[in-house]
Amino acid sequence: MDTYLNFANDNLWGELWPELSLCLGALLVLGIDLFSNSSKSKFKSGTFAIIFQFSLLVIHLLDYLVLRHTFDRESFSGMLKHGLQQDIMRSFFLLSSLLVSIVAQGYLKTRKLRIGEFHHLSMIATAGLMILCQSQHFIVLFVALETVALCFYPLVAFDRESAKSLEAGIKYLIFGALSSALLLLGIVLLYGVCVNPIAWGANPVSSSLSDPFSFNGLYYIILENPNHLLLRAGVVLILSGLAFKIGAAPFQIWVPDVYHGAPMPVTAFLAVSSKAAGFFVLINLVNGPFAGMSEFLLPLLGFIATFTIFFGNLAACAQRNLKRMLGLSGVAHAGYLMVAVMASMILPGSSDRAIWILFFYLFTYLLASFAVFGVMSIAKVSDDTEHEFSDYEDLARKKPWAGFTLIVGIGSLAGIPPFAGFIGKLLLFSLAFETKLYFSLVAMVVGVVISIYYYFGWIREICFHPRPVFEDDEPKHDPWADSEKLGLLKAALLSLVLASVVLGLWQGPLGDAF
Amino acid sequence: MLTVTPHHFLILAFLLVGIGFLGLLVRRNVLLMLMSLELMLNGINVALLTFSKVGNNLDGGIFVFFIMTVAAAEVAVGLALLVALYKKRNSVLSDDMAYLKN
Repeated sequence: MDTYLNFANDNLWGELWPELSLCLGALLVLGIDLFSNSSKSKFKSGTFAIIFQFSLLVIHLLDYLVLRHTFDRESFSGMLKHGLQQDIMRSFFLLSSLLVSIVAQGYLKTRKLRIGEFHHLSMIATAGLMILCQSQHFIVLFVALETVALCFYPLVAFDRESAKSLEAGIKYLIFGALSSALLLLGIVLLYGVCVNPIAWGANPVSSSLSDPFSFNGLYYIILENPNHLLLRAGVVLILSGLAFKIGAAPFQIWVPDVYHGAPMPVTAFLAVSSKAAGFFVLINLVNGPFAGMSEFLLPLLGFIATFTIFFGNLAACAQRNLKRMLGLSGVAHAGYLMVAVMASMILPGSSDRAIWILFFYLFTYLLASFAVFGVMSIAKVSDDTEHEFSDYEDLARKKPWAGFTLIVGIGSLAGIPPFAGFIGKLLLFSLAFETKLYFSLVAMVVGVVISIYYYFGWIREICFHPRPVFEDDEPKHDPWADSEKLGLLKAALLSLVLASVVLGLWQGPLGDAF
Repeated sequence: MLTVTPHHFLILAFLLVGIGFLGLLVRRNVLLMLMSLELMLNGINVALLTFSKVGNNLDGGIFVFFIMTVAAAEVAVGLALLVALYKKRNSVLSDDMAYLKN
């Protein structure tokens, strides 16, 4: 018995308290949903989920900002790593999950969807994302990735009455399962070479260094054999599996369809959390285990980045449907972030300037995306998946606060000066210049110029009244007509706007990291 | 007599993965696409076990159980979604899934 207890203590379960309490909260949400009588009871599962996640976020921030200084530490015999970067990503996911819950609350109620299950799935997905970012071992990485994916499939298909939502769910499932199969094949090839290098014609490393699934073990074997065919194939397969998740260019086919069919809060969740996790894992892998192969990977990633930027921006120009347009503009943002990943490979060390710029960009993207998707979730469009430009006509006059929020969100996504998105793009440009990635720099500048076209088409629609109205026109359905009480959502959206503006004008102590 | 070497197992494994991938590309029935995915994952399992045997390392053998569990969960979700969609559309063909268009 004592040996088992010691074994359990050595694993340091305490390091995982945010994930464990999030899972506990998710179970409580289900329990409350089960036992509360939905029409009568005051205490609803949705309210509980929001309060729980908010307090968890506050406690987590207090824990690592005030109570203890963060240092790098490992648990579960080196399978998980905790440190400042991982804690930043944890808070990022908690914040994003909280915002998803707030946006979802009103959305689910008006469409009469199940509330408890939604919050349960989104909280479990968040716990999976948090583990994913701390993993230092490919088995943990795979299991965490699949936890996230298995929560996202039902979330995308959450509106079971809508055939579009179900279709998006199935498409996401097929592409997601294919991408995890590719990732898995890559892991298996690396494992195969690592356990017996001599049998596959690779140079062996001393056996104490080669734990075949851990990032450290693979680092040495790849450093020793950067030209080995099986290792290269494995690395490329793993990167293409991740490229599927972040929606980078040769693997972006699923993005417009899935964004189009998914319910609005899920679209936001996919756009922000799933992409951020993919990028953090990617940057960890290219800085850690794959560092020995930089020479081979840089041109490959450079091609992917340029292709992604141009494909995303050009395809977004042609879209009439706003959700598809946002999905493709998200593809373009993935291309910009890929440049940060390349810069981080060129800069030495695993906590260089590029990673902090990536974090900053992801945070500005979170603020802007949730502002945009939050306002879109309020609109009472007859079919929720079909948001068109004309539905936003004259919004600035009909609902000034919603129009203003949307303009700040779009402006920040486009990178217009007073907003945070501008600073993020500026930092990326300076980073690409500093690391001599001139070709990517040109691609980014051209991409941003193209993106102004479709972002400003939307802003023009919100601010002005471009279409003349005639007396014999059919009366149009106005999605902004009824004004319901939106207390919490309105407060959350306005604070996102405030954060976008403040971060655009003043970066404070964050500026030192750049 | 012909001896079976690890290379034969690896060829089998990559054939299975290849057949699965090809099936995923050419099949028009979503049920069969899900089966092709399973075939790919099983091919990967065979490769993993071969590597594990050659390297005399048990980690790969343990990973196989994780992969099997995940594959089962994935197919469970996939079938549930497919049944729900079939109730709406009376079809499981991927050609009929064309509601999401620009």
